[in-house]
Amino acid sequence: MVEVELQGLIRKFDDGTRIGPINLLVRDGELLTLLGPSGSGKTTTLRMVAGFIENVDGSLLFDGKNMIGIEPRERKIGMVFQSVALFPNMTVFENISFGPDMAGWSREDTICRVEELADLLGIRNLLLRKISEVSGGEAQRVALARALATNPSLLLLDEPLSALDLQLRERLQMEIRRIQKKLKITTIYVTHSQDEAFAISDRVAILSDGLVIQVGTPEELYDSPASEFVARFLGSGNVFSGRIVDIDDVEETVSILVSDTLFVIPGSGEIDSNLTFSVKPEDVIISDSISETSTTATLASITPQVGSFKVTLDFYGIPIISLTYDEALVKRLRSNGTKSVSFSFKEDSIIILRD
Amino acid sequence: MAFPILLLLVFILFPVLAVTVQGLITGTPFLDVIASPRIQFTIIFTFSQAILSTIMAVLIGLPGAFLIARLRFRGKSLVKAMMIVPFVLPPIVVVVGFLQMFGANGIIDSILMWFQGSATSVFNLATGVPGIILAHTFYNVPLVLLMVSASLERLNPEVEESAEILGASSYQRLRYITVPHIMPSLLASAVLTFMFCFMSFPIVLAFGRGVYLTIEAQIYNAFRIFDYGQASSLTLIQIIVTLSLAFVYVQLGRKETETGPTSSIKTTTFGGYRLAEKCLIAGYLVLIVVLVLGPIATIVRASVFDPISQIYTLSGFINLFSTGSRYLINSLFYAGLATLFAVVLGIPLAIAMRSRSKTIPTVASIMILLPLGISSVTVAYGLVLMIAVPLGLVTNPWPIIVVAQTVIGLPFSARAIEIAMSKIDTAILDQADSLGASRLQRLFFVELPLLAPGILVGGVFAFAMAIGEMSATLLIALPQNYTLAVAIYIYLGVRHFVEAGAAALILVAICVIAFLLMEKISKGSVRGAL
Repeated sequence: MVEVELQGLIRKFDDGTRIGPINLLVRDGELLTLLGPSGSGKTTTLRMVAGFIENVDGSLLFDGKNMIGIEPRERKIGMVFQSVALFPNMTVFENISFGPDMAGWSREDTICRVEELADLLGIRNLLLRKISEVSGGEAQRVALARALATNPSLLLLDEPLSALDLQLRERLQMEIRRIQKKLKITTIYVTHSQDEAFAISDRVAILSDGLVIQVGTPEELYDSPASEFVARFLGSGNVFSGRIVDIDDVEETVSILVSDTLFVIPGSGEIDSNLTFSVKPEDVIISDSISETSTTATLASITPQVGSFKVTLDFYGIPIISLTYDEALVKRLRSNGTKSVSFSFKEDSIIILRD
Repeated sequence: MAFPILLLLVFILFPVLAVTVQGLITGTPFLDVIASPRIQFTIIFTFSQAILSTIMAVLIGLPGAFLIARLRFRGKSLVKAMMIVPFVLPPIVVVVGFLQMFGANGIIDSILMWFQGSATSVFNLATGVPGIILAHTFYNVPLVLLMVSASLERLNPEVEESAEILGASSYQRLRYITVPHIMPSLLASAVLTFMFCFMSFPIVLAFGRGVYLTIEAQIYNAFRIFDYGQASSLTLIQIIVTLSLAFVYVQLGRKETETGPTSSIKTTTFGGYRLAEKCLIAGYLVLIVVLVLGPIATIVRASVFDPISQIYTLSGFINLFSTGSRYLINSLFYAGLATLFAVVLGIPLAIAMRSRSKTIPTVASIMILLPLGISSVTVAYGLVLMIAVPLGLVTNPWPIIVVAQTVIGLPFSARAIEIAMSKIDTAILDQADSLGASRLQRLFFVELPLLAPGILVGGVFAFAMAIGEMSATLLIALPQNYTLAVAIYIYLGVRHFVEAGAAALILVAICVIAFLLMEKISKGSVRGAL
């Protein structure tokens, strides 16, 4: 369809703050999600791509062609808004046919296209309804059909599912993904939900304070977060920060002092410099047998989850989350009222973070 | 709850029904009345002037609504708040302002006279049909402007953006998105404008020169010559029209539900427009200043400039305070009492409107809206004939004036209180219940303190309506009962222009103070009471 490239895209606000510079490549036919906490600039970035924001610095290339200064309606974009924004004075059919009508399609082509989309999205029985008579999930389908009606080459989705309940959201995520793959349409999806981003995307771009922090597939991001922010935001990391006190060049390990406790981890660095690393919850091994050499922390809570237990430890004020499948262990921890737990990391599980 | 409804039955429905039915049975037959060419002319004129005034108000108000909604500028909320002023301004005061702005020897006339070196008046729009239409336009432009701009501000900007990205040009967006969105509120404001103009009385009486009369003014004339048959027939016609319009209005009010949930309307600064657009905007603002602000501001001149002797004088104020001080005392006394009653009755009526039962809220709102739709001249005459006469109040009917003014202020106080009630979070009341408050404790310690601002706004609104009321008061009052509003009409009739101007200025001052009070209490939410 189209390859979208954002090169140093900046939006300045009157109060001196700004979003950007954003550098990002959206590949032809992929679904890329902009993920970040609220206020990180996801929606602003999307609206810059759509062309709703004037006074933008930098360049925005669609297949190498600069789009800055081109009207939104000339950009061949389909967009679904957070508030759905269906036209309340029209029927479902009229909403979907609005784009073809504006483009001057013939009546037969329009009807044919609307019916095709209605079948694709399973809303054929709604076509004659008023907008006030469709439910939240149906409205999202109508909005998606409307956005796709004129065969746009780029689809922009701005938190389209945030108002729906969890089950409906998961179902629509799969549906959006199915349709996107079928049409092979380049898609930029905005969400603040990590689950949603990971479920739906080819690649995810993580935004913070108006900048793209890291781009990658969900697996890449989860397995190797590039920074403390990403590790914390994705909830994939127990983050430790400390000072390097010893280096072993033969074993290629360093010793780091974190809260008076020494950790020996693979890596390199300089004595007395600071180092931050993270360990995923499933790589933290806990045990209730405590020896002199084991590292201990205080048990804070145990939460049962589907298929596992989430055990939270308190290590000198640093929360450590561990996932365990050991039911017997959890039972002992609960019944003994044990407060002290030893923990260790699986081999090759330590991720050294930048900054 | 039943008590105020009962009182309204006694003081509105009974007198109006009694006097109308009596007139229809014993007076000139209905068919004879409407066969008269004089009456036919009045009916046709009533409709056509109302249509014309509505068209004018919409044409002038619509661009302003777009400006208010889309233009971002300093003092916007103040400008919107100021738009309320014409509503609380008594019509007879507007007459004085219009004479001074557009009339013979008024501001515009004086400028033209100076320009042409003429010693006699060359320009007079404040008379006859142009005067009536202009004054009605003045009154209703703010109504159209506020209702439509409020609707525009509720338009979800993402809906417009959806249309834009789907390829709609700015004209197509206006045609397919914006216009359908504002249509219900535009129609509602037009219906309301039509209704107000249809029932207009003081303006028509002052500018119509006895030739151009509305049905309401003709009812007044009919009562004065004791032609009850004619008065009743006309009242009947008027009620049918106003009730149908009220029905349409309520239906329109139900239509608009769409709101913008996430962001607010897109606005542009003045600098963002092209030169030609800037000129148009500036021209429009001049028009609004001349038409809406002009008549209000020039009342100051009216109070000190005598157009007959062409001199500036303070004799208006001197005469008013030496011989006419009782007008002011009467005004304050009647309006004060009426306000008290309007609030005391308004609270239970508002409660009744929010009752869970099916019939009570309907009955209550009909009772409250009735005074807006029924000729106040008929209400006044019914009160005199059915209440004052049997009670022997004919020689000094002041209690009847208070009753009439209460009835006229009540819709406004009850509505303001009802709005305040609807804004109370029911969780707070449940909280009070769960903490063990009795019903009375809950009312006195929780509900009433929360309602206090709403009650005050309602009271001030009712006071403004009561003190500016002229139609009913004019019919009931004997000379010793004249209020300022009635006095202005009498002064104008005997060409004592400065006295009328001085009285008008005092009323304007009172109304502006009332308006400022409302704004202060409600922090800008007065508009909701419309």
